[in-house]
Amino acid sequence: MRRILPFLIVAVGLLALAFAVLPIDRPFSDPPRAMDTRLGLDLRGGLRGEYQVIATDDQPVTAEILATTRSIIEQRVNATGLSEPIVQTQGTNRISVEIPGVENVDQVRALIGSTGRLDFVPVPAESSQSVVDGAPLPAGMDATPLFSGDEISVAEPGFSNLGEPEVRFTLKETGARLFAEFTSQAAPTRQRFAIVLDEVVVSAPAVNDPIPNGTGRISGNFTVEEMNNLVTVLKYGALPLEINEVGFSQVSATLGQSFLEQSLVAGAIGLGLVCLFMLLHYRLPGAVAIIALIYYSVVMLALFRFIPVTLTLAGVAAAVLSVGMAVDANVLIFERTKEELRAGKTVSAAVEAGFNRAWSSIFDSNVSSLITGAILYYFGSPIIKGFALVLILGVLVSMFTALTLSREILRWVVRQPWSRRAAFFGVREDEFTIAAPPIRGRSREASARV
Amino acid sequence: MFDIIGKRRWFYVFSLLITVPGIIAILLTFLPGARMGLQFSIDYTGGTIWEVHFQGDTPSAAEVREVLVEQGLPDSSVAITTAGERQYVLIRTEEIGLQEQASATPPPSASPSGSPEPSGSPAPSASPAANASPEPSPSPGLIVPTEGELGELASALQQRFGSIDEVRQESSVGPIISQEVITGAMILIVLGSLGILLWMTFRFGDFRMGAAAVAALVHDVVVVLGIFAILGTLFGLQIDALFVTAMLTVIGFSVHDTIVVFDRVRENRIRHAGEPFSAIVNHSLLQTLGRSVNTSLVVLITLASLLLFGGDAIRSFIFALLIGIVSGTYSSIFNASALLVDWHEWSERRRQQAFVQSRAGG
Repeated sequence: MRRILPFLIVAVGLLALAFAVLPIDRPFSDPPRAMDTRLGLDLRGGLRGEYQVIATDDQPVTAEILATTRSIIEQRVNATGLSEPIVQTQGTNRISVEIPGVENVDQVRALIGSTGRLDFVPVPAESSQSVVDGAPLPAGMDATPLFSGDEISVAEPGFSNLGEPEVRFTLKETGARLFAEFTSQAAPTRQRFAIVLDEVVVSAPAVNDPIPNGTGRISGNFTVEEMNNLVTVLKYGALPLEINEVGFSQVSATLGQSFLEQSLVAGAIGLGLVCLFMLLHYRLPGAVAIIALIYYSVVMLALFRFIPVTLTLAGVAAAVLSVGMAVDANVLIFERTKEELRAGKTVSAAVEAGFNRAWSSIFDSNVSSLITGAILYYFGSPIIKGFALVLILGVLVSMFTALTLSREILRWVVRQPWSRRAAFFGVREDEFTIAAPPIRGRSREASARV
Repeated sequence: MFDIIGKRRWFYVFSLLITVPGIIAILLTFLPGARMGLQFSIDYTGGTIWEVHFQGDTPSAAEVREVLVEQGLPDSSVAITTAGERQYVLIRTEEIGLQEQASATPPPSASPSGSPEPSGSPAPSASPAANASPEPSPSPGLIVPTEGELGELASALQQRFGSIDEVRQESSVGPIISQEVITGAMILIVLGSLGILLWMTFRFGDFRMGAAAVAALVHDVVVVLGIFAILGTLFGLQIDALFVTAMLTVIGFSVHDTIVVFDRVRENRIRHAGEPFSAIVNHSLLQTLGRSVNTSLVVLITLASLLLFGGDAIRSFIFALLIGIVSGTYSSIFNASALLVDWHEWSERRRQQAFVQSRAGG
């Protein structure tokens, strides 16, 4: 084990460096995608919406309905060609949508939020005057639809002779038959039928001629965006239940960019100062701690890219904070080492004792951090989850680095003749006991027990 | 040797000097009518934040507020923010612009909310009719852009100050989310404390150590909340969604510190068995003082640089962390260990009394 450890450390370090720097494809991904550092919406700009599925008296929100709603919304968003949307279910009746870098926010919101229930409703002659575009059907009118949007097999965007956007559709067999029957019976009286989308009349044309082949067009006063939205909604079907937007936020890409730059600059300055402090206060062990810190940072970055962890503002803060924890493990060890030196131990014995005695503090305190981290991760909201994940990774990696890398390097260093100077360890000359020349075969465990 | 434990009364007093005004300020929050105590951001109260840039000259906050009042949003705040050369108008209002609201506002489609019954009802069972939902919302969706109240506000602003050419951020939080954030936060803090209490009791084999650590942790939570309540009353410093995260980090850090001290107490109790408990604790405190101060210093350095250079969005979060870490270091050195000693001596005395009584009785 002792022989293997240095190789393990180097191997992990090299692997992490490769993951952190090289453009490697993400393993087990189909199609292959490059590993990249993922940034949250607050750091790259984008929109996040949260929607609640609304139960009706006779239809509670089941897991199945939630899943269906999620996948329909996902298909709708994907159809817009926006990159990397994340559509997730939250709890028992909510769905969150995150889309980075959106420009036309209102269109996307309308697309996600519309139930997409399209009804073809014959208008009785007596109600003919009261059906108005852009308003719901008049109260008291028989709103039984002839058929609904699920009878549409193909929907395409198009433009009318006047150049206005319209949606062209082809009906399935049943729909086409019903439509043919209705139109042939309605044509003589020029009866109207209303195309109703989510209970608002889009248009209510009068039937001029029978339509036997099940094709038609919907022309409201569409904008091009509205037309495209309608085509998308018809393509993927109506949501099983209505949804309401309960939370929404949007951050512009420039704001995200400036957040990112600010936190990177702040993090770099902070880290630089920490390194300076460690070097001035702890001298040689401080230098070892800095190497450990760099190693720690590379491993963390590699993990962020590998898992992948989506970095948000809170995540960056957690990363900076966990640097504090990584340093803490080293501080604990070095303070203890100093104490042991002052108590008259030789350098190598003091280093061993420093690691061994500090271990119980490091373990207990880090486990308590892991406990809070786990609770945060399990019960927290998405922002808190991201923070918790970074914190948990930080604690684990910092424990690993302190106990393997720092220890191995320091062991090696104190075996070198040039390192045996009191000033290197931040203690006075008279507190410093130079180690007896290492005796071959003497086990380190024995020296640690001094 | 410096006697920390012997002076523990003074350290208790110092803690009280901060926590008592803090608690009073926190309690002011519950005073109806007065806008004092903790100031909650829209993450908790629900509301809308909207930050925009005008193509022409940036209007003054007072001018924008006039428009807001005209729009029926008198309880709004307006701030002018700067990023580089550009000036933005940051508007905070009650919650507007969410779809359910949006659909209720535009006059043309307003009728079904008045008459929920007939809107779409005699529909066959296959169609999930809307009339059972709390607010029948005929989401106009594709036909009318869902701009709602925010859209009206936008056009009113543009009429007066010229066109808006950039929306920097927009955020609306409905009452459902905000309620969840509050209960979630409380549950997280209670669960976190419980987990720590259990872990420490298990590892140190002493419930008193766990309880003292949790007492120090509660102290830190109260200090941070109290300072935010005081500064909230005086300067309107707000508590946002990240505050919970800060609180939990503070809890973790406070316990981190306390564990390091208690770990040394555990070790010294065995080594120096027979010495008075207060001496053992004091000795342990002095031994770990260097580490406690240095670690806090390292974290404070990184936090200070985040506070100075990290930008507005996380400033209040970092500030909460900063107070919490200082308080956490203080409480683990001066409160947790002192409490442990007091508790220990108290149960010692009780045991002696019981012993004396049992002798006198027998």
